[in-house]
Amino acid sequence: MTLTFALIFLTAVVAGLVGSMLGIGGALIVVPVITLFLGVPMKVAIGASIVSVIATSSAAQLVYVQRGITNTRLGMVLELATTLGAIAGGVTAVLISPRLLQGLFAALLLWAAWGMRRRSAAARPESPTGLLDGSFLDRATGETVSYGARRLPLGMALSFVAGNVSGLLGVGGGAIKMPVMNLFMGIPLKAAIATSNFTIGVTAATSAAIYFGKGYVDPVVAVPTALGILLGAQIGPRLAARLRSQTLRLLMVLLLLAFAVQMAVRAAT
Amino acid sequence: MSLRPREEPKAAADTGGTRGTARAAAHGAARSREAAAIDRLVYRVLAVGLVVSAALLVTGMVVWAVHGGRLPGSVAGPWRATRQLVGLQPEGFFSLGLLALVLTPVVRVAGSVAVFAKERDWRYVLITSGVLAAMIAGLVVGAG
Repeated sequence: MTLTFALIFLTAVVAGLVGSMLGIGGALIVVPVITLFLGVPMKVAIGASIVSVIATSSAAQLVYVQRGITNTRLGMVLELATTLGAIAGGVTAVLISPRLLQGLFAALLLWAAWGMRRRSAAARPESPTGLLDGSFLDRATGETVSYGARRLPLGMALSFVAGNVSGLLGVGGGAIKMPVMNLFMGIPLKAAIATSNFTIGVTAATSAAIYFGKGYVDPVVAVPTALGILLGAQIGPRLAARLRSQTLRLLMVLLLLAFAVQMAVRAAT
Repeated sequence: MSLRPREEPKAAADTGGTRGTARAAAHGAARSREAAAIDRLVYRVLAVGLVVSAALLVTGMVVWAVHGGRLPGSVAGPWRATRQLVGLQPEGFFSLGLLALVLTPVVRVAGSVAVFAKERDWRYVLITSGVLAAMIAGLVVGAG
């Protein structure tokens, strides 16, 4: 019991670190590791992963908000779309087969990975647009980056889908929201990461009660997950600040590919 | 701040079409004051929520290490968990610690509504109220 506890804790430290560096919740890291290697049942793993998403968001924001990297206004606008999507997910869950949903999610992740990879080749400078403008200091380059949002309706529509999927699959939706902000809305990578991280806690909290109510949240798994994440997600943002955007982008592409494979396997089995 | 179309010229766009630079400057100052207030609120709520949650979880671990025993397979609701906590049962600390973690974003959104209302930024009062309503709906549906 103690060994399992320690291993879950260590897994969560890594998930919190990687997740908070890239603006995702870590659910897609925690779930496969603890189900495949530690023998945790799927339902319990999903209950723990909802907790991990919220913990990642809250802990990382202590750094991202304090350093002014999160665009809180943009985050709140997208939260509206994403929470409504999560609520709608609860309604549509009975209509769509989980297998089809996982397959669609895998395709979406592959598409995001493709987009993120291409963007690195032709990165264009961001500029203020007068819409949800923001600016932050990039510690890796020492430059202040100013930018604005573009294509807000499209961004909101895709955030709705991200919320919908996350409500259904018990993930935070950051793996969709971060690429959407960066690729479609013209938000610089580091601001997109911080803002995506900001929104995933709200999305996950919206559907968390359902998992608590169903009895999926087992303290033996959820407690070490939460504690590990709280630690890892304090380190991640500090580490990410020192890395160049290109490095973070490459990490994100690799992780998106791993997630896509994972979802495709879930859909096929 | 108005949600303007994307092709708007950048310099004056953030003023939401306000004419005259003095008014524009005042508007901009109000916006950045509001942004600072929101950032402070978010930071404080999250810091308090995390400290409370972590303290409960760690205390639960200590109690568990001392008392030992099997834990139930799922967390209890707030009332039962409080009784367990008063009875120094580790599961009470664990349930309330996890509950505090989940409720922190809800408090953060509720606090944002209040800050935007104080700044009379009705557009964002509406947006954040919508988010809060959706979160509460999720909680009610889940708890029911």
